[in-house]
Formats: sequence, structure tokens, C-alpha cells
Amino acid sequence: MGARFYVPNDVSAIAAGADRVANTLTNKGAMVVRTSSRGAFFLEPLVETEGSGGRVGWTHATEKDAAKILVGRGAKPVDRIPFLAKQTRFTFARAGLIDPLSLEDYKIHGGFRGLTKALGLDPQKIIDEVKASALRGRGGAAFPAGVKWQTTKDAPGDQKYVVANADEGDPGTFSDRMIMEGEPYRLIEGMVICARAVGATKGYIYARSEYPHGIRKLRAAIARATEAGWLGHKIQGTDLDFELEVFVGAGAYICGEETALLESLEGKRGMVRPKPPFPAVEGLYRKPTVVNNVITFATVPDVLDRGAAWHASIGTEKSKGTMPLQLAGCIKQGGLVEVPFGITLESVIHDFGGGLPKGSKFKAVQVGGPLGSIFPEKLLKTPICFDEFAKAGGILGHGGIVVFDHETDMVDLARHFMEFTAEESCGKCTPCRVGSSRAREILEQIRDGRGRPEDLDTLRDLSDTMKMTSLCALGGLAPFPVLTALQYFPKEFERKPAKR
Amino acid sequence: MGNNGHVTATIDGKRVEASPGESIWTAARRAGIDVPYLCASSALKPYGSCRLCVCEIEGVRGFPASCTTPVRDGMIVRTDGEKTNHHRRNIVELYLSEQGEGAGEAAEQLQKYASRFGLQTIRYRAPVKRKYEIDDSNPFFSFNPNKCIACARCVRACDEIQGTFAISMLGRGFASSVVAGNDVGFAASNCVSCGACVKECPTDALFEKAVAVAGKPEYVGRTTCAYCGVGCNFDVGMSGGRIVTMKPVEASPVNWGHACVKGRFGWDYIYSRDRLLKPMVRKGTDWVPIEWDDAIKLIADKFSAIRAKHGPDALAGVSSARGTNEENYLMSRFMRAAIGTNNVDNCARVCHSATVSGMMEVFGTWAATNSLADIDKAKLLMIIGSNPTEGHPVTGARIKRAVRRGARLIVIDPRKIELCRYADVHLQLRAGTNVAVFNGMANVIVEEGLYNEDFIRARTENFEVWVEMVKKYTPEEVEKISGVPADLLRKAARLYATSGASMCCHGLGVSEHRWGSYGIMTMCNLAALTGHIGRPGTGINPLRGQNNVQGSCDVGSVPVNYTSYQKLDDPKVRALFQEITGHPLPQRKGWKLPEMWDAALDGRLRGMWITGYDVAQTDPNLNKVRAALSKLDFLVVHDLFFNETAKYAHLVLPGASFVEKDGTFTNGERRIQRVRKIVDPPPGIKSDWEAICEVATAMGIPMSYDHPSKIMDEIALQTPGMKGVSYERLDAGFGLQWPVPEAGHPGTVVMHTEKFPRGKAKFVPVEYMPPSEEPTEDYPYTLVTGRVLHHYNSGAQTRHSRLMDFVDTDVLEIHVDDASELGLKTGDNALLKSPRAQVTLPVMISDRVPPGTVFTTFHFPELNLNTLLSSSSDDLSKCPEYKVSTVALSLAPAAKGNGRSNGHGKARKVRRGAPKARIIE
Repeated sequence: MGARFYVPNDVSAIAAGADRVANTLTNKGAMVVRTSSRGAFFLEPLVETEGSGGRVGWTHATEKDAAKILVGRGAKPVDRIPFLAKQTRFTFARAGLIDPLSLEDYKIHGGFRGLTKALGLDPQKIIDEVKASALRGRGGAAFPAGVKWQTTKDAPGDQKYVVANADEGDPGTFSDRMIMEGEPYRLIEGMVICARAVGATKGYIYARSEYPHGIRKLRAAIARATEAGWLGHKIQGTDLDFELEVFVGAGAYICGEETALLESLEGKRGMVRPKPPFPAVEGLYRKPTVVNNVITFATVPDVLDRGAAWHASIGTEKSKGTMPLQLAGCIKQGGLVEVPFGITLESVIHDFGGGLPKGSKFKAVQVGGPLGSIFPEKLLKTPICFDEFAKAGGILGHGGIVVFDHETDMVDLARHFMEFTAEESCGKCTPCRVGSSRAREILEQIRDGRGRPEDLDTLRDLSDTMKMTSLCALGGLAPFPVLTALQYFPKEFERKPAKR
Repeated sequence: MGNNGHVTATIDGKRVEASPGESIWTAARRAGIDVPYLCASSALKPYGSCRLCVCEIEGVRGFPASCTTPVRDGMIVRTDGEKTNHHRRNIVELYLSEQGEGAGEAAEQLQKYASRFGLQTIRYRAPVKRKYEIDDSNPFFSFNPNKCIACARCVRACDEIQGTFAISMLGRGFASSVVAGNDVGFAASNCVSCGACVKECPTDALFEKAVAVAGKPEYVGRTTCAYCGVGCNFDVGMSGGRIVTMKPVEASPVNWGHACVKGRFGWDYIYSRDRLLKPMVRKGTDWVPIEWDDAIKLIADKFSAIRAKHGPDALAGVSSARGTNEENYLMSRFMRAAIGTNNVDNCARVCHSATVSGMMEVFGTWAATNSLADIDKAKLLMIIGSNPTEGHPVTGARIKRAVRRGARLIVIDPRKIELCRYADVHLQLRAGTNVAVFNGMANVIVEEGLYNEDFIRARTENFEVWVEMVKKYTPEEVEKISGVPADLLRKAARLYATSGASMCCHGLGVSEHRWGSYGIMTMCNLAALTGHIGRPGTGINPLRGQNNVQGSCDVGSVPVNYTSYQKLDDPKVRALFQEITGHPLPQRKGWKLPEMWDAALDGRLRGMWITGYDVAQTDPNLNKVRAALSKLDFLVVHDLFFNETAKYAHLVLPGASFVEKDGTFTNGERRIQRVRKIVDPPPGIKSDWEAICEVATAMGIPMSYDHPSKIMDEIALQTPGMKGVSYERLDAGFGLQWPVPEAGHPGTVVMHTEKFPRGKAKFVPVEYMPPSEEPTEDYPYTLVTGRVLHHYNSGAQTRHSRLMDFVDTDVLEIHVDDASELGLKTGDNALLKSPRAQVTLPVMISDRVPPGTVFTTFHFPELNLNTLLSSSSDDLSKCPEYKVSTVALSLAPAAKGNGRSNGHGKARKVRRGAPKARIIE
């Protein structure tokens, strides 16, 4: 048997040319297996084969490298790529190794062990385990998953639901996508465990329409898992019934907010619901519903498999486990970085991201998506964990990290993020619906040199009302990038009209 | 938490009790705390848009909205903190900054809050504003989106209150805007003009055109709607001496702040130029105005002469189910005491008289057993032969609301009415087969053991006899008769029997049949069989068609009984009548309406007085009715307008409208409610009651009352179930639901909780019998008649209203299969022939009717629809068989080219000149 070659079919790898390399290798008679990506996107296409001491690979592979690849020349051990070697991969441990849709692969690599264990446990024991693991939601709000599950389990209801929030809308984030495209069974497994714990028989994965590859993979994976008895009626011969369906969103950022997501899932306009009642008590069709992020569910199989104590032993005091960070922006090495909570932002940018490209100087970094605070250099020592970030006036959000260099216009950047909110506001509450437009106008005026000193007072005052009185986190967090840009780069906001 | 399940919180230092789940906002308001708001409404679910009601809660971060935050026990809330008010100021500033160029002056409420929170200037320079076109398309209200604050109260009102879902938000963020339909404007949307959105709008973006023209109204009084039998309460708003608006009353148990297009806007007929203003006497072919005194004398003379020559039974009075209880009573008193005959009847004869005879037989009662509020409690609603979303729109909305909260719904109707879309089961039976269908449901319930044994044992009789009869009505047999698939019938029977609380609401589709009383009895049998009666959320509930169809019978305007269906030969009744009127109660039973026409035709009946009832348009077999009217020696017609019947009159009297007189109406849930005089009638117009008294007096039998309340006192004295009724008590709340057997009695919400008026309910075995006409080769189509949303019965009121902008002709609904076979298209004119007459109607192809059945309305006299119908009627009650006749259909020759239609009635418009009397001054 000839050598097998592993070529990622993750969309980022495809964008870098992975399909062309795979086709060339296939045409030359090689056996090609399409796998998930390791998340080192700056190296894609990363073509791998089995070496004597594990996988070896060719980075930035093109069709021209086919001959070299086929004879096994010039490959380097993948494990020793520093970007990967320094990470602590649990949730993404199998990234790049397996064929995403192969149930065999999944099982060989330890898949369904968590679920198998859960099927033998009393539902309350599962929740106790998740609680003890101190797993917090990875969607942004960092709410303890076990507490949420318990609420849904205890809420009265003839029907309960489990919903995965896969509406990964923060620009520069892609960890949910990598799971959906690269290891869909992990998400499914986590959701089935949750269903058993809370007593749900129906689940939905709410995926954004911009993820066609992931949606196709998920649907195929659901069909195969159902056929194999991991979903559907009497799962693995137990009394557990759980049906799962993918629901495709329609392109609204707000539908990543859990209540708007539920409205959309019900076929309605994606508008935020007031809380309480919380979805855990009154969610989809007003029935008790667990809504968790994809990564949260994807972490659950390991929690069950390796035990709560294992999970609780990783990370900081109040942020347990690992966090898949997604590095983007003005950085040398963009990609997925799974690390235990606690390492500093600086370490992520330099040790993993490799710093900024030549000629670029660090100016600021935004963590947590378009609503995240903008941190200057002096805050780079902040450890990656929910509480330290909160203390520093920021959010970890879904783990997106975007680096900006010295050429960035901070006023325009602030305006850009406020414009994002103005465009994406659902329009339900006044501070967000009107306030975001008013704030954008002020920032436009400042950017164009038409600002007046009192405008900054107005902006601060308006921001405070938005933060304090908005219905959901979109309006409530929208002022943060603006206020932090203003706080750390005040000079830039005192500009004169540009000379033309 | 208190032991009553309530929670207690401290709001602005006050201890406030709240029910579990209640919001801080509602609790605070109840405690008299003025929490500012724009998007919240006591009629709608919490939404949380405006954020003006934000508050501070001890131990909670930020400023949560009080309208969406439930009160927790021990909560300490502050609603008027300095910081809170600062945020409010900023929010009002945001609102004012977006008001569009065409917005005009900011809404009063916004201005009020601006000054309350000290907002002086808007800090934003050159803010983008709202910029939209004004939508003027609806005849009654406009929408100016430039004044809109996107709070979605209108959208929510349409969804949650009316259930039409005609309004939506389009776009997001700052571009969020309210649109009707698919952004097509209100007129072209599926909006039903109920006005719920207009009422909810906090910024006058939606506003009534009449109010915009006349200025802000002053609410001067409360009254009861004069349209259907729901009996909605309205506050009447006046400006510049005229009525400009009718606002539905929030606290009303009848309409809970809701209304329909007719009640809310369609009262403008009171100002119609077509109103009769003077008595007129016929001179040959001309009409000559005369003075009231002369008119009164003329009636007295003519009636005296007829009585002298032909006896008292040669005279008859017909009162109106649209008139007040007091007027109906007086007509009956006049005929009985002054003339000496029981020949008195009213329009209830032709609608729910079969309901009365049917319910009498089974339960011994003649009215709805439950209340409209029971719709909110029922676990299943069975709607039979009724189209509530058009005929009783406020009740229709309530039924839709019940379904949205989870109640099951069965619809039994030959037509696919709007409610079918909400129904668990629609039994689309052949018209006229109700008895078979009900017997079939009973068969299933018996066969499957789903009946209520305890109830049958304790509260019914004749079960054993009856149960033998239903055995042969197997679903398969019933399918052959009715066309209802056996499985659907089974499903309906099981749902009805097992819901826990099933409530029947029926309409004229049960009563107006050859065997209408039997249909009612078989329906009542179902309630007795399952025990779905005598409890909240159950019962047999006729949706009464006209505003006072219930009351007109209750107060004795019927030929065979006295008030409350007391027997004419009851010695106590006779003695009391003698004592009060000074005259004996006549003992010969009077003629029912259809019998009156026969009597007129053969000369036994010589003189009639008809008030507020256009028999020459609305009774069946019109040619016969008209011939009968033509034979009369003397006919007095008393009405707001010169109607079809007036054309046969010798004397026409102008009537007063419902806002021009005091009195009471009794709605379909037995609720006696006040009608109040808000404005004076046009000069020279007397109320019916005044005219009747004067004629009686002129005939030498003095009758006089200084106020209608005195008439009610007299009714109460003679009517056991109304003993405790007085204007004083009616005025104190929202009327009283009879029975009110004594002065302090609170009225009766649910009847027959302990026993039935006849003791035990009696299972009445009745067999299915076919309608009087079944399709033949010559007359192959079944014609069913009913009504549409925008019109009401004869159309006397609605045809003189701007409601004509919506619908101005009757149309023929026909299934596409039949239409294509006949070569008919929507907009063509169809010729309908029956053995009695032929008429022409514009065609509207519709999937609401099944093949073989056609449907139309009879709101427009010029179409003469009821000439087609036979005089066939229900044996027991003489209720006409309006719902089934057979006709032949063809394309009408020389089409007049009208009747375009889009299927929603929007384009059902044909301009016709209303028939007008020629008046010689």
C-alpha cells in the first residue's frame, strides 16, 4: 500500500489552494485523505503524511510541490511546528488528523467515549459532572454551563430543546466553523450528552448562512450519526431519543444573541427578547431550552470522558479549561490557538502569532469581536481569562483577537465598530436603534475634522445610556471599543479638518 | 411570599403587592407610581423597546426596564433616581432627534417627557431623520411614519389583540419601519381596520382622520355598540359639537379594549345626509312631509279604524332587534294593552328563534349558557355555522387569541372561513346536514366510551331512549349524508369529548334551517353527553347576530310568550299585566312574522307598524313579503333611513340612532348594558319609545314615562330573571348578566351550574331529515347566505357609512371547478335562478366554498337576493331556511362589467345610486 496524504478541506485551506494540491496528488495516483485543518492557517495548504515518528508535512504546498511530496522529500515533523507544539489542544486535539465525516476515525480517536459514559449515568450525575468541571460558556457571556443545564432540567415543560449557537458572527472568529467543518461529531456528541442531562428530545444547530461548507458537513454528519444510532430513536439502545436538525440563519449578526436566535429559529424576525424569562426556562416555543455555543458543547465530551476534575485542574481560579483563541489582523501567524486560561495576551500575540509583520508596529488589539474593548500595549500583560479581562475593562467574548498596527486611525476604527452596531442593531430598543446611529454620526464628524469639544461629552454621555439601558449586549457593549479608543488614544480625537 | 401566592416589593418607598410574574411597571402603576413609558401597554405583552421605564433595583447592576422585569419578593426598586431620569432624558432626546421632516409637532407624550426630564436642546448636529411617505390609503386612519418611534405597539396589537398579523417591522436598526402587509400600504394589505394599532400608537403616527380634522376629542360618555350581538363598550369622543371617535373601553369584560371596523369607525351613518328627518305621508306616488302631531294622529285614527272594523288581531307590531329593550317592550305593551293583540314579533324570529326552541327542549333555556370571557377559559372551542371573524369580529379575535394560547379548535361549516386556518379539525359538511353530523359525533363518543357518566346520571334524563337512536349514525353513515370524512368526524368527536372544557359557539348556520331547532337540540345533546355545560369554559353559546336580538325577545316582543318566555296564560303574569297596564293580557297567541305575511295576503292582517327592520329586503321569499305589504290598509315604517319596506308604507317616521337616545341592549351573553344619549337627535326626531307612547295616548290609552329607566323598572317588575335590574345598577359597572333575580344579585356568568331550568337536561332523539330543497338537475347548486366583515344585515347602517369604501356590492363566491364548468370568471355577472325569481350577482372565484355550493350576502337591496329564497322555515320556531336553497347558475347576458375582486373584498366595489325617496316640499 502506498503512502496516504492528508490534505485539509477546511475552507481556509481551500482558499489557500488545498483543492488544487489534492487534485494534483490524486491525479498522480496518490491516495489522498481530506481532513480537517490544524488551524495554522498561515501555513496552509499544509499537506501531511505519516512519518516514522508521526505526521510530517509540507507547508504552503502547491501543485508544483507534488513531485516532492510524492517521494516524501522535504517534509518536516508537524508536531515540531512551534505554533502547534506550544498549544494545549483538547477541544481541537484531533484537528488536522481525521476525516471529518468518518465515524470510524472519530471513534478511533476517542470519539463517543464521553457520550457512552453519559448514557450510563443518571442525568443529574451528568449535570453534577459539568458543574464540577466549572465549564463556562464559550459564546461570550461565560455563564456556567452546568447551572444553565440544571435550570432547564428543573424547569417544568412537556418538551425541552437543546440548541447550538453556531451563528459565529464576530469578524475574525472561526473556531465554531472549524468544529462544524472539521469534527462535527464532537458537537453532536456534546449536544446528545446535554439532551440526556436535561431531558430534551429535539435539538437544533443554528448555523449562519455564511458557512455553507460547515452546514453541508453537519447535515451529512447528522445523517450518518442517526444511521449509526448516535442520534434519533433509542440512542445506542438506551431510552434516549434525540433528533437533531441544522437551521440556517439569514445573515443577521443579532441572531447570535440567544433570544434573537430563538425568535429566528421559530421563523420570526430576529429580535431580542427581554430576559427574564431566560431561555433555560422559556426558550424555543417558550419551552425550556439550553442554548450553548458550539465550543461549549464541543468541550463537553472531554469533560465526561476525562472527568470534571481533569477539566477543573486546567486554567485559572475562575476560568477553567482551555480557550480556543482565534488570531487575526496585523499578525504574522494567524490561526487557531488553543491554550489554557491564564497565559497573557502578549504571549499569544508574540509566542503564537509571531508578532507583527515586518514594518508594522503594534498599536492596539481588540479581543472579543466588534464589541470588544481596544487594548493598548500597556494592557498586553493581561492574562487570558474572563475575570482579568473584566477587570481590565474588556471582554474575552468568543475568543477573537484582532491586532492593529501603527497606521490604524483610531477614530475611524471606533467609527467603524459603531457603524457595525448601527447596521446590525435589531432595532428593538431605542438606545441601540437610534443611539448607535447618533454615535456613528458624532464619530464621523470627529473623523472629518468637524468635531467640537462638547461632542466628546455627548458621546460619553450617550455611551453611558447605551451601556446602562440597552435591551441586550449589542447595544450595551457597542460603546466599549469607542470608549477604550478614546481612553487610550485621546489625542487622535482632537483633530482639525484634514487639509485637502 | 405571602400565603396568597403574592410577592411584595418596595417601589419608591411604597410597599407594593404583585402577583407572581407581574412586572414592576404594572405593579408600580397600580400603586399610583407614574413610571414613564411609551412602548408598554396593559393590553400587550412586555416588550422593552423604549427603555423609558428603566429603574434601579437594589443588588442588580444597570438599569433594567421595569416593564419586562418581574417583581421578586423583597425587591427594593427605585423608579425616579437622578441617574435614571438622566438616561430618560437622553432617550427622549434620541426620539426627538429622529422625528422626520413631515412629522410636524412632536407627539404630546414626547413633549411631556421632554419637559419632565428637563430636555431643552438636542445636542446632535444634523442627525439623520426618519424620511417616509405618509400612508393615507385607509378611509378611517392615516399612518405618518415620520412620527413613528418603532416601538411596535401597532405590530403587537395586530398580532396579540386582533390576530390578523397585517403589520410588521421592516428593516433593522435605524431603518426599522412599520409596514402594512408586504409594504403595500394599509388599504391593500390584509388589515381589517379594527383600529387596535391606532389605539395603541403612543405618538400619533397612526391617527384617526376624523380626529385630525376636528381636533382632540373630549370623551363625553360611554355607550354600547349598535352593531352585532357582542355588545362592545365604547367611550364616545366629541369635538366641535360632533361625535368624532369611538374608543373601545379597556376595562370592558365584553371587548377588553378591542373593537372591529364597524363599531370603531362605521358609526358615521349617524351623520349621513340620507337620514330621514321628518315624518312623511304617501300621497299617490309622492311623499309629503307632515308634522309629528299629525303623524301620531294619523296612526291613532287608522289603527282605531282597523281595530273597530276587523278586530284587534288585524293589527300587528314588528319591533327591532336593533332597538333598545325599552322600545321593544313598549311595542309589545302597545300591541297588547292598547290594541289588544299578541301580534308582535321582531327580527329575532328570522335568526336565532330556532336556538330558543331547541335549547328550550333540552335545557329549558333560551340564551347563551356561558359568557364571552369563558372563551379565555375553554380548552376547546367548537364553532358551528358561524363566521366570527367577520360576523362577530371582536369575539373572532378572542377565539384566535384562545387558539394562540393553546386551546383546540373545531370548525363545522360548509365554508372555509378564516378560523379554519387555526382549526385542529374543519368539518366541511354539506349545508343542511348539522343533525347528522352532531348525531355522528354523539355516536363516536358513545361507542368509544368518552361520555361523562356521572353527569349523565346526575343531571340528565332520557339517555337510554336517545342512545338507541344515535347507534345508527356511524361515522360512515354520516359521511354519506354530510360529506364529512368519517375519520375527521371521529377526530372532532374525540377532541370535543376529552378536552376537559369544550365550549360551543354557534351562529345562524345552525338555526336558519328547515330543521334548525333539531340541529340545536342535537348540539345540546353533545354538551349533555360530555358534561360540557354548567362550568366555566363550556356550554352552548349562540353568537347573537344583532345588538339586541337577545333583549328584544327577553322583554316580550314575541307573539306566543310574555317577557322571559313566561306563558301568556300564567295567572300571575296576567294579574301583574292587568295591574300595571290597566288592561287584560290578550290570550290568543299572536302570529309569528312569516305567519303575518300569510295573514296579510288573505286579508286577516290589515295594519302594521314596523320599526328598524327592513323586512322587504331581509326576509326570505321577498316577492311574497312585498305582496303582503302591498295588501295592507295601513303600514307605518319607523327607521333611520328610507328603506325598502318604506316603499310600501303609508306613513314613514324618522328614527333616532343609538347615540341619540337612552336605553339598554342585551348582548349575546345575557348582559344588559346601557345605551346612552350622547347627542340630541336631529331636530324633529323622536325616539321610538316616545312615538309609541304618543300614539297610545292619542288612542285614548295613556302611556307616558319621563325616562327610559322607568320603562326598565316596569320590565323588571314583570320579569323574574330581571327583578334586580335597574339603571342605577347598570350604570355602576358594565351592565348585568341575567338572571338577576333580586336587587343585590351580582348577575350570572355561568348558568345551570346546579340545575337546568327544566330540572334535568333531556336527551332529545331527533333524526336527520333533508333540507326542503336538494340539488336537482334544474337547480344543481346549493346557495348559502351570510355576511361580510364590513357590512351588517340589511346594510341600513353600513351602506350609509364610509365602510362602503371597502365593499359596495354583494358578490357570489363560487368554487373554481364550478366556475370553469360554467365559463365564469371573477368579475363576470352570474345569473342565479330559483323557482321563485332570478337575480344577477358579480362572481368571485374562491376556495372558501366547496364545489356545488355558492355563497353570497344580502346587504345590498338592489340585488334582491332574497327573492330567490323560499318561505320554508323551521317547524318549531318559524325561523326561515336562509342557509339552504337551490339555484341554477349561468353567465348573465349583457354583463354590466362590475364586481372586480381580488378575493379579499377590497375591490368589491360597484357604485350604485341609493334608492331615494322623492320629497315634495
